Amino acid sequence: MSTAAVPATKRGVKAGKPVKSQRTKAEARLGWMLAGPAFVVMLAVTAYPIAQATFDSLFSYRLTTPDEREFIFLDNYLLLFSDWTFWRAFLVTLLITLVTVAIELVLGFALALVMHRALKALRGALRTAILVPYAIITVVSAFAWYFMFDINSGFVNNWFSWVPGISADLDWFGNTWTALSIIMAAEIWKTTPFIALLLLAGLAQVPGELVEAAKVDGATRSQQFTRVIIPNMKAAIMVAVLFRALDAFRIFDSVFVMTGGDQNTEVLALLAYRQSISRLEIGLGSAVSVVLFACVLLMCFIAVKLFKVDLASGTDQSQAKAKKGGAEQ
Amino acid sequence: MNPKTKSRLGWTVVTVLVLGYSLFPVAAIFATSFKTPGDLGNQTFLPTSWTWQNYEMIFVGDAQGLFLSALRNSIGIALIATFIAVVLATLCAYAIARLDFPGKRIILGAALAVSIFPVISVVTPLFNLWRTIGLYDTWPGLIIPYLSLTLPISIWTLSAFFRQIPWDLEQAAQVDGATQWQAFRKAIVPLAAPGVFTTAILAFFIAWNDFVYGISLTSTEAARPVPAALAFFTGASQFEEPTGAISAAAIVVTIPVVVLVLLFQRRIVSGLTQGAVKG
Amino acid sequence: MKRNWSRAAAAAAAATMVLTACGGEDDVPVLTWYINPDDGGQQALAQQCTDEAEGAYRIQTSLLPNDAPAQREQLARRLAAGDSSLDIMSIDPPFIPELAEPGFLAPVPEDVAERTTEDTLEGALAGAMWNDELVTVPFWANTQILWYRESVAEAAGLDFSEPVTWDDLIEAARDQGKYLSIQGIRAESMTVWVNSLMESQGESILVDPSAGAEELETNLESEAGQRTAEIISTIGSEQLAGPGVASLDENQSMLMFQRDNGSFMVNWPFVWPATNAAAEEGSVDADLPDDIGWAEYPRVDPDIPAAPPLGGINLGVGAESEHPELAFEAIECIVRPENQTEYFLTNGNPPSSASAFDDPAIEEDFPMAETIRDALDHAAPRPQTPYYNEISESIQLNFTPVSGVDAERTPANTAQYILDVLRGERLL
Repeated sequence: MSTAAVPATKRGVKAGKPVKSQRTKAEARLGWMLAGPAFVVMLAVTAYPIAQATFDSLFSYRLTTPDEREFIFLDNYLLLFSDWTFWRAFLVTLLITLVTVAIELVLGFALALVMHRALKALRGALRTAILVPYAIITVVSAFAWYFMFDINSGFVNNWFSWVPGISADLDWFGNTWTALSIIMAAEIWKTTPFIALLLLAGLAQVPGELVEAAKVDGATRSQQFTRVIIPNMKAAIMVAVLFRALDAFRIFDSVFVMTGGDQNTEVLALLAYRQSISRLEIGLGSAVSVVLFACVLLMCFIAVKLFKVDLASGTDQSQAKAKKGGAEQ
Repeated sequence: MNPKTKSRLGWTVVTVLVLGYSLFPVAAIFATSFKTPGDLGNQTFLPTSWTWQNYEMIFVGDAQGLFLSALRNSIGIALIATFIAVVLATLCAYAIARLDFPGKRIILGAALAVSIFPVISVVTPLFNLWRTIGLYDTWPGLIIPYLSLTLPISIWTLSAFFRQIPWDLEQAAQVDGATQWQAFRKAIVPLAAPGVFTTAILAFFIAWNDFVYGISLTSTEAARPVPAALAFFTGASQFEEPTGAISAAAIVVTIPVVVLVLLFQRRIVSGLTQGAVKG
Repeated sequence: MKRNWSRAAAAAAAATMVLTACGGEDDVPVLTWYINPDDGGQQALAQQCTDEAEGAYRIQTSLLPNDAPAQREQLARRLAAGDSSLDIMSIDPPFIPELAEPGFLAPVPEDVAERTTEDTLEGALAGAMWNDELVTVPFWANTQILWYRESVAEAAGLDFSEPVTWDDLIEAARDQGKYLSIQGIRAESMTVWVNSLMESQGESILVDPSAGAEELETNLESEAGQRTAEIISTIGSEQLAGPGVASLDENQSMLMFQRDNGSFMVNWPFVWPATNAAAEEGSVDADLPDDIGWAEYPRVDPDIPAAPPLGGINLGVGAESEHPELAFEAIECIVRPENQTEYFLTNGNPPSSASAFDDPAIEEDFPMAETIRDALDHAAPRPQTPYYNEISESIQLNFTPVSGVDAERTPANTAQYILDVLRGERLL
């Protein structure tokens, strides 16, 4: 996240002038000419399909019996909301989201602090290491975790057989809770670095003088942390949490690879996939997709309205500051 | 022990812990990729005897048709999707950072909205559309949807980068007698290039990582990317397990990622934290 | 451009063999054969028939995913997409009706049907039909037999020259403290098992498989259904199939059978070459193969012959194929009995043609060939309905984990579940 250090742009200085000249018009045209293609492409690859999905979700439509396609209005949704399979997938998705984000926040904070305070010589190594889980393919990470715990090929049962409850006979993927734990562990491992990096950027924004002042005032370490550092990082924390939560809610790859939804570990994205891609029930699958999309929108809406998360803080805020700075010059 | 050595020792321990955290699962699958079929079931971390046979299987053996074509598809598709996204995003971000025009916020907002989009929601309609217009199981059939993953992050990251460029330099150069193009090339390009490059790396990671589009919109070696192909590996017969081949292929596709991270960790970190968006 | 690339890839894959038939490839019609994963046998057959065609056509293979439902998914999606590249397809029999019903498969010309099914084994032929018509050509047929460790059988006093029952096996495994190798994973193999247990009592899962979605009825709520669930639940609740039963697929159950606590196993013939290879390689005891015996699939009722599972692969032609005649010509070449023999020897997949078993080389490599052939005559196909996928998944859902199966409730629940799903009243 950039800070007030961003120099005022030339345009920023002029933007305040209220003259609607030929030039502004030309600028607007140029702006849309440059930005337009990207904008159109983004809309074309998402807005059109989701509209189509919404339309399809009103039909009973199976790909292998195209002649029996039939308009059934909201029946697909009624079926979803009256079926425990859907609610179970919903709850599992919610659980995974809550647990992983909570743990990642704590773990991510620890990692961010480590990176923040680390000796210069170590920083490079730490950052490199932490980027590996971030950049690795999710499917690869899922296989890695799967092979580690798999009752047939994994070494975990062998290594940890001294822990009560773990023995050579423990089938991690044969039981809902153990399977979910591994899925969540893999997700946490893979995405904590992302949160840690965002928090690191947040930490860098906390004014050092404030911490020093607190120290002088005799604040303990934990007081410095809870009273000074965290309040000053609130924006960064909220953005990190929201992005991760939205991401976690769409979880698919790890579950697909590790259990395929068995042992009641099915998540919403997998449910949508199974209905439309495996069963070829386009109508029903589209309904699940639309519901999933609505959930994500709702989460976003709640965050923005209720918690006042400023998603645009990365750019617009600094722009505002830059503008302000420019105007004062 | 004086405080300095003590702190150094503490940091070494912490570093080792973080390294262990980050690398352990990778190390595990690395070790698995060198196991013989007999070792796969023996529940140990390291192979009892190291073998290249899993790598032989995917590069010259039975699985090569599956793996090599997937590798080619993945590299080609991810690179093209990255390239298109970066070009479009560069123009877009330049306009956002440099020009004042109505609808700027809408564009940034749209990028944000697209980046939170559940891929699975658009896959079914795309599948239906692609099969009617013949894009199913082709490169463009993946490149186009990949733009929904790579474009938003590119726009955000680049906008953030471009805002930090002191555009006044351009004018300063012009004052010094350079033409506008010269000024742009000499003063601005060197400043903007690192940002564009970083953005390209991040976009590539995301395209490289895709799984949902990969399994839903392809069905043969013509376009199937590596993550999807991993789920297709087989053992010697249809009932035997492909753990070794999967592990070897997983390591192969992790190498480029690790190399990029090793070379550009500083840039990647700054790009990630500036854009503050993940696809 | 992509097509050229994939063509180049296929050519590269077969580089060594291609050399012989390199001239003038450009004008030759290319037939794409979507193959299921095997040990390279279909690739070799494609090459062989290409050579024999002398320029009439060229067969190029394209690999499908690992498990049968995923193969069906890929094929169905492409067929629904009206893809003209689906010239020849390797299809698992239970999924044939779903593809045949909407007309996705080109009809098999009568003369081809006649020539290719002259001596096809009973079970395999049944799996190739839909609505009393041959819609695919049988290529190879698979079935499960009972494999046993002679040492364990001896200790338990079981005589395998006579048919044995599931009860015998359960009791022997219990007494000897050994594990029974069944397939307990939530996958197609579970439906395979349930179907065989039902059919072995002379009942089918569906009352009338050709009925529409609204009218389908099951036979699960019956004595046979209860007996089926009872066998599965006994093995599950007493942990007779070991602690990892939830992840026991065909391969894992074979590996368990090979270990010291292995006893009896129902499985496909691939286990024989696989076990021999493992013994040669040293990953299992070198003399393990000597301890392995085989017999007919276990019975449920001692007086009713068992109906072992039927698997295998049939070849179909896509309705949109640009070269259907050539495709059927190629299929005739592929499924010739001597090719089926060769395929059995090299890939371990048994022929669907009776005469293909006559080659003495088979007896040498597969001493249990006779048992397999007999099994194929008695094998029962899984329900042949366009809704097979839904039915199979419902069975898998309700019959796993096997430890949770209840003789009273599970069959009734499954029956209800299937009806709800088919009537669109429930998700799957």
